[in-house]
Amino acid sequence: MKKLLFILIALTLFLPVQAISASNPVKGGNLVVAQPAEPPGLDPTANTAAAIDRVVWANVFETLVKVDDQGQVLPGLAKEWNVSADGKIYTFSLRAGVKYHNGEPFNAEVAKWNLERAMGPKTVNPHPEYFRVIENIQTPAENTLKITLKDVDALFLVHMAEGDASLLPITGYKDAKSHPIGTGPFKFAKWVRGDRVELTRFDGYWNPELPYLDKVTFRFISDASAQTAALMAGDIDVIGWIGSPESALELAKNKRFKVLDGASTSDMILSTNNKAEPFNNLKVRQAMAHAIDRQMIIDLAMSGFGTPIGSHWSPAAPYYVDMAGTYPYDLEKAKQLLAEAGYPGGFEAVLQVPPKYAYTVRVGEVLVDQFSKIGIRLKMENIEWGQWIKRIFLNKEYQLTIIGHAEAWDIGIYANPKYYFQYDSQEFRDAYAKALKAPNEKEKAKWFGETQRIIARDAVNGFLISSPSLPVMKAEVMGWWKNYPTIALDCTKVWLKK
Amino acid sequence: MTRYLVRKLITLIVLLFLVSITVFSVLFVLPGDPAEIILGMNATPETLANLRAELGLDRSFIVQYANWIGSLLTGRGSMSINYDVPVYDLILSRLAVTGPLAIFAICFAVVISLPLGIYAARHQNQPGDVIVMFFTQLGLATPEFWLGILLILLFAVKWGLFSAGGFPGWSVSFWGSAKALLLPSFALGVIRASILTRLTRSSMLEVLREDYVRTAWAKGLRERTVVYVHALKNALIPVVTILGLQMGQLMAGAIIIENVYYLPGLGRLVFQAIGQRDLPVVREIVLFMAAAVIFVNFIVDLTYAVLDPRVRLT
Repeated sequence: MKKLLFILIALTLFLPVQAISASNPVKGGNLVVAQPAEPPGLDPTANTAAAIDRVVWANVFETLVKVDDQGQVLPGLAKEWNVSADGKIYTFSLRAGVKYHNGEPFNAEVAKWNLERAMGPKTVNPHPEYFRVIENIQTPAENTLKITLKDVDALFLVHMAEGDASLLPITGYKDAKSHPIGTGPFKFAKWVRGDRVELTRFDGYWNPELPYLDKVTFRFISDASAQTAALMAGDIDVIGWIGSPESALELAKNKRFKVLDGASTSDMILSTNNKAEPFNNLKVRQAMAHAIDRQMIIDLAMSGFGTPIGSHWSPAAPYYVDMAGTYPYDLEKAKQLLAEAGYPGGFEAVLQVPPKYAYTVRVGEVLVDQFSKIGIRLKMENIEWGQWIKRIFLNKEYQLTIIGHAEAWDIGIYANPKYYFQYDSQEFRDAYAKALKAPNEKEKAKWFGETQRIIARDAVNGFLISSPSLPVMKAEVMGWWKNYPTIALDCTKVWLKK
Repeated sequence: MTRYLVRKLITLIVLLFLVSITVFSVLFVLPGDPAEIILGMNATPETLANLRAELGLDRSFIVQYANWIGSLLTGRGSMSINYDVPVYDLILSRLAVTGPLAIFAICFAVVISLPLGIYAARHQNQPGDVIVMFFTQLGLATPEFWLGILLILLFAVKWGLFSAGGFPGWSVSFWGSAKALLLPSFALGVIRASILTRLTRSSMLEVLREDYVRTAWAKGLRERTVVYVHALKNALIPVVTILGLQMGQLMAGAIIIENVYYLPGLGRLVFQAIGQRDLPVVREIVLFMAAAVIFVNFIVDLTYAVLDPRVRLT
């Protein structure tokens, strides 16, 4: 009801405004964007932190192809491409005359150097596997890049649109951590450490129409109430990803602001150690799945924002299958399954949550209450993020934890039995391999759908909700992405209504 | 005095050495190394090994410690892993925020607490004293972040007199920067003032009962002379001690208020560096803090000598 009311308010307030102004963007103006985390360095090819991509991807650095806020793959530095009939050879026609911010030219040789660096033995790229499917790279002409893959890879193209595949200049790459140089619409101006990163319009951008803004400043404000106060006081124009959904609800009532309730790639899950007692028992996991009331999590912990999910796939992405009904909320069924599994009185377990991500604590509290109804007594413990990575993620010393998996197209993690869920299923691995090698869209949809069904059926983790995108901004900010189908705060087409 | 200085200097060096070993070992055994944090949920054994080699984390404890101390002694210091600038520069730039913030806060605290404390002591158990005590009790119970947010809502959101946070930088705008520190230092200062007011009051009450004060009264001196010239000086000794401790605490303890006002200060830097395992930054800030606390205590010692001629620095 709350959500319905909010949507109605949002519709009446913003639709007419956007309809009038979407036609003629205005040039000029400065935009101040708040994001909670300061990036640890500004090189997206050397660090996995989402905060880096949110500042530099599509703004400073570009990739061969890019995605828009609907998740569609669009031309980037490649103006077009074609794939051979067997799906193994990608030929990209690159844009001619593209220059880096320092004047270096971009061409096929530069692209080749970047890809080889990412797949090389000394790589520190967080995702070398994106590139290691490449068998060889040829540059038959200055602006033609011909990539031959070892095998068909349905995700190769979307991977080339991610921050990890950013194309850096050959001489200007060395200082990318502190002084990034790219081909994007904005060039790096200054990083006041601890406070902000400033980007200014790049006049030599290959698309002379863009960008609209003169300057974009990213400010780092981690405290959720400080973000809201800064927006209300007029210090910032946009909160890229609001930390407290309840503030979004408040701000949406104010005519000066608007809230975009879109989808993101972040799947929030109750990660479960499938090798640990008693979670190695399918019936226990099924019982838990029956005891989760997702709508209550959305209402209590997320102020009504978010979409229930039943598997590890974003509703915003292609090939999505709605599996939320696999194990409907049913306490009797849950108790029965627990009894069948040999735990008629339930059991005790430890749920570890990293308070660095505030939602994990909120959602954890709701889950503790929900599981108590079938006799599962969860003890909730806070764990510092560095220890989470070490103990839970790398050493797998845990029973349950909550986290949002932010990467798009990441269902492949279930194919790795050493991943921290420790889920080991040959059936899943076969289905995933078939999905990757699917020759056409129909087969892709079939097999990616199948992978979603298998992990939903096996109740590998507690699949909770797809996190909302929830950017909040002043009413005059136009062209901001509603959905976040990839990790980005793309300002290329953002403009300010006068 | 010279002997005193030499002794202080030796203490400083020995202490810093001990601090350096402690902080290095603690961070060494802390679960989660920089490479693990950087690669996060994408870490694979291969990329971890590559990154550890690049950051020099694959070497032994002794080698890493020796390298660090070596870089400190040659005056270069280490580089921040995340920020890619010398830690020394980072500390200096952050000190330009936290230093004035702490000083402003202490000024607020002193300006509020001394007159109130003296007033309360002079009017012990009268209505004025009761009111002062009530408000200091309230101040002690108020969390900094709450007062910080309250001030933002009032002065920034409602009245629009201040910005809600941030720091323009001294070179960009001097008055803008000073203004940006006003609300946070007030929030910090008010709470410290509560402690100082109570301390000034009790210290003052004690001194006012001393024999020499009775003598002063008996001589027929005016009230102002007795209180402000004779009594106050002695009553200030415990106050100065606490003030010194608070100053040291403020240098690092401003973490919360720096987060509420998103000020690029030292507290937020060290907080963030611990979370991201930017170990060089954590180590050198801890060392710096230790040195700062020792220095402030040194100043406090000097102040005793000024306040009370019987104290000799030997």
